[in-house]
Amino acid sequence: MSETSEETWGIAHVYASFNNTLITITDQTGAETIAKSSGGTVVKQNRDEASPYAAMQMAEVVAEEVKAAGIDGVHVRVRGPGGNLNKSPGPGAQATIRALARAGLEIGRIEDVTPIPHDGTRAPKNRRF
Amino acid sequence: MRVVVTGTPGTGKTSATALLEDECTVAHLNDEVRDREFWTERDEERDSLVVDVEKLEAWVDEEYGEASDDADDADDVTIVESHLAHLLPADRVVVLRCRPDVLESRLLDRGENEAKASENRESEALDVILAEAVEEHGVDSVYEVETTEQSPEAVADAIRAVVAGDREPSAGTVDYLEYL
Ligand SMILES: Nc1ncnc2c1ncn2[C@@H]1O[C@H](COP(=O)(O)OP(=O)(O)O)[C@@H](O)[C@H]1O
Ligand SMILES: [Mg+2]
Repeated sequence: MSETSEETWGIAHVYASFNNTLITITDQTGAETIAKSSGGTVVKQNRDEASPYAAMQMAEVVAEEVKAAGIDGVHVRVRGPGGNLNKSPGPGAQATIRALARAGLEIGRIEDVTPIPHDGTRAPKNRRF
Repeated sequence: MRVVVTGTPGTGKTSATALLEDECTVAHLNDEVRDREFWTERDEERDSLVVDVEKLEAWVDEEYGEASDDADDADDVTIVESHLAHLLPADRVVVLRCRPDVLESRLLDRGENEAKASENRESEALDVILAEAVEEHGVDSVYEVETTEQSPEAVADAIRAVVAGDREPSAGTVDYLEYL
């Protein structure tokens, strides 16, 4: 159907908490949701292994859905402690991005938009973790 | 023994630890950061001071003694309370948790603006402080306490139990992601 060979890009929103990961893929404006992960909670005792694995599986499913909808690549917005790209990979976020790439989506800009707890004071961004 | 009580703003740290002031030393770090100017820059967007962790840590050590000097001494306890407290060395780390929608209402009721209540709600939904506490101190030092349905008195009791060694470490006991 498409008349041009131009690529269609979306945004992958990755929400990576301590033991859960949620993925939503929207159009470039963020208005229309193209695919959403089921947000399966992983086995809590097995955080280190289970979470990246569950996130990877979700990412694969989501990637297939958005490719079928005509999306070629995604810019990634990571929110969550698994999303601090300066640190060692937390459960979920890094695994998700790798899985999206492996499933054949192009990966564009990766932004960390993790919220910062604040109460008149806040922690510095690059802590010594 | 140094026990730090951390958690997203609105989880009830100041309210719960105020109830412990008769039985141990309680340091409220947010006030100290402001009063003693332990900060490096202003975050204008958040109307917040970015803490100078090294200065703060040196001052807390000087004022209250270093963590682990007397790691198991339950008679000489300093409680350090703040959403920044887990950035400091500690013998035990209590992380207060509150369901994000309830936390947001608590902050709005306390008179905070919507942007602040909302970013703290998201931080709580994503376990930001819990994850930092575990990253910094390891799962064996972290004690997660769910406060949503608990009174400040009950939360103070939970902190007492941690101090007394009557509670097991825990982390990842709640999943608030649906409250984003
Ligand atoms: N256990 C609780 N149950 C209900 N409301 C609480 C509880 N603890 C604190 N609050 C209320 O919630 C708000 C935030 O509590 P506060 O102690 O200031 O939290 P923090 O120091 O963690 O930011 C305050 O208005 C307080 O009265
Ligand atoms: Mg407080």
